[in-house]
Amino acid sequence: MTLQRTAPPRPTWRQRVRDPGWGVIFVLPMLVLFVIFRFVPSLGAVGMSFTDYRLSGDFEFIGAENYRRLIEDDLFFDSLRVTLMYALMYVPLTLVVSLGTATMLHHVIRGRGLFRGLLFLPYVTSFVMAGIIWIWIYDTDGLINGALERVGLGPVPFITGNQAMVLGSLAVVSVWKSFGYSMLILLAGLKNIPEDVMEAATLDGAGAGAKFRRITLPLLKPVLFFVVVIETIVAFQVFDTIYVMTGGGPARASYGLVYMLYDQGFKFFDFGYAATIGVMLFLVVLAISLVQRYVLDRENT
Amino acid sequence: MTTLTAPPATATTRPPTRKRRRRSGANAWLTVLLILASVFTVLPFIAVFVLAITPEGAQTIPQKMPDEVTLDNLSAVLSASSFLRWTLNSFVFSIVSVVIILLAAAMAGYAFARKRFPGSNALMWSFLATLMVPAQATLIPMFVLVSRMEGVNTFWGLIVPTLANSQSVFLMRQFIKDLPDDLFDAAKIDGAGEWTVFWRLVLPLTKPVLATLGIFVFLWHWNDFLWPLVIAQTDDMRTLTVGLSTLNAETVTRARIMASAAISVVPCLIIFGVLQRYLVNSIATTGLKG
Repeated sequence: MTLQRTAPPRPTWRQRVRDPGWGVIFVLPMLVLFVIFRFVPSLGAVGMSFTDYRLSGDFEFIGAENYRRLIEDDLFFDSLRVTLMYALMYVPLTLVVSLGTATMLHHVIRGRGLFRGLLFLPYVTSFVMAGIIWIWIYDTDGLINGALERVGLGPVPFITGNQAMVLGSLAVVSVWKSFGYSMLILLAGLKNIPEDVMEAATLDGAGAGAKFRRITLPLLKPVLFFVVVIETIVAFQVFDTIYVMTGGGPARASYGLVYMLYDQGFKFFDFGYAATIGVMLFLVVLAISLVQRYVLDRENT
Repeated sequence: MTTLTAPPATATTRPPTRKRRRRSGANAWLTVLLILASVFTVLPFIAVFVLAITPEGAQTIPQKMPDEVTLDNLSAVLSASSFLRWTLNSFVFSIVSVVIILLAAAMAGYAFARKRFPGSNALMWSFLATLMVPAQATLIPMFVLVSRMEGVNTFWGLIVPTLANSQSVFLMRQFIKDLPDDLFDAAKIDGAGEWTVFWRLVLPLTKPVLATLGIFVFLWHWNDFLWPLVIAQTDDMRTLTVGLSTLNAETVTRARIMASAAISVVPCLIIFGVLQRYLVNSIATTGLKG
């Protein structure tokens, strides 16, 4: 269809450096932004974690002191535990809700577009907005407790009760706000499952449940895995809803990792220490991604 | 992370069979479940708007629907100078970011897709690698950097650090790479200069992906919280999300808070109403995460 283009002789490396050309000019604005606001802060986080950087801008290198302090700090391990507990509630819940709704949307005959839109709706709002609405929904005279009161129950202390209750309630808010994304990813995955496989199974007399377990789930595995990894990383970064709804409380019941970072940085202005928490957050997220790579590679061989 | 296989929607219309009809019972159940799920997602929005138009102190949901409605809460919020200022700030923050990110990402994407320059591959990978670093992890050094550059409580301090966005560069690169080579060859033969090619060829051809990206960048910024929270410390620099988070039951009535929330969500609802189908399809095909 097209003629074989003869490649021009590749310029030597020396020539290319001397005349970098238009490529560099076009990439320059983004490059400058990335260097100043991505690369420098990334290295800066590591650098600052070895200092006692304070609000005044004065600092001294204190070696691994921040890291020593961190592993002796009960607050840090508590915040890690809070974040982990939250993730263990949020990830399965969002997975079940988004897989359930995606499956229903995939099979429903009428009104798919409408339902898809309604279910996706909360995704366009902010976590701050979601937090403000759900404070009222969870309130003693709010939507849920008001309804419970009519049937003589409650009030349930959703965000003022014990730790499991508070973290679960926060997880529900995040699921409400953001499951639409995973739902759409899973819906796209479901559409990719070849119809003839399903039809063959139907002819063999497989019921709906068996088809879901034996065909849908295995074929959906890569997409499910993508969703689990993304949502786990999101769960470890939870901040907005905690800030708006509980302020880390009650009694530090929802004092998560990023909330601790914010608290140390902008309440106590202990920037060196807060930067160290940031490095730990990066390592946790990195570990999650590496586990993903490992599992995926093992699946493929 | 940003690429998922595009699902080819296989629309096979089959004649209704007996099997189909037998499944209609199951379908009724599906519809009921979907209605319940939709109530879960939509009810909070309705509740906010009902509370926002309930006169202060009047009985309202969940006990009963309000007897009378009022626009007082909404107009009180809109005439409060802070609220208008926050809204304006959010618009400036979002729209300026959209314009600059689209332009810079299109330029960088064009360079990565169509130009060779020393280290282009390594650079592309280092851009992508920043996806691995959560924004919260670099919050402190970023704040220190911007405050040393006197950027606290300024618009540039709010906006510029959020512009280095690797998802948009990567998306533009993928799209421009897939454009037909012949177009670029033809332009070159016609003697078009580099800027002409970019303005007259690249930008018009990438309009669909620029539109998608623009919506996402707008939503990311409109809903962003942590960065504006630390960088906008005076009331007149706050964005809507930060401003809303300062309203609490001790200082403002619930009706006012809900009225503020209702107004702040309107731009997102408009975007959603007009571009829902578009937004939904682009998540399915590109995996862009908001």
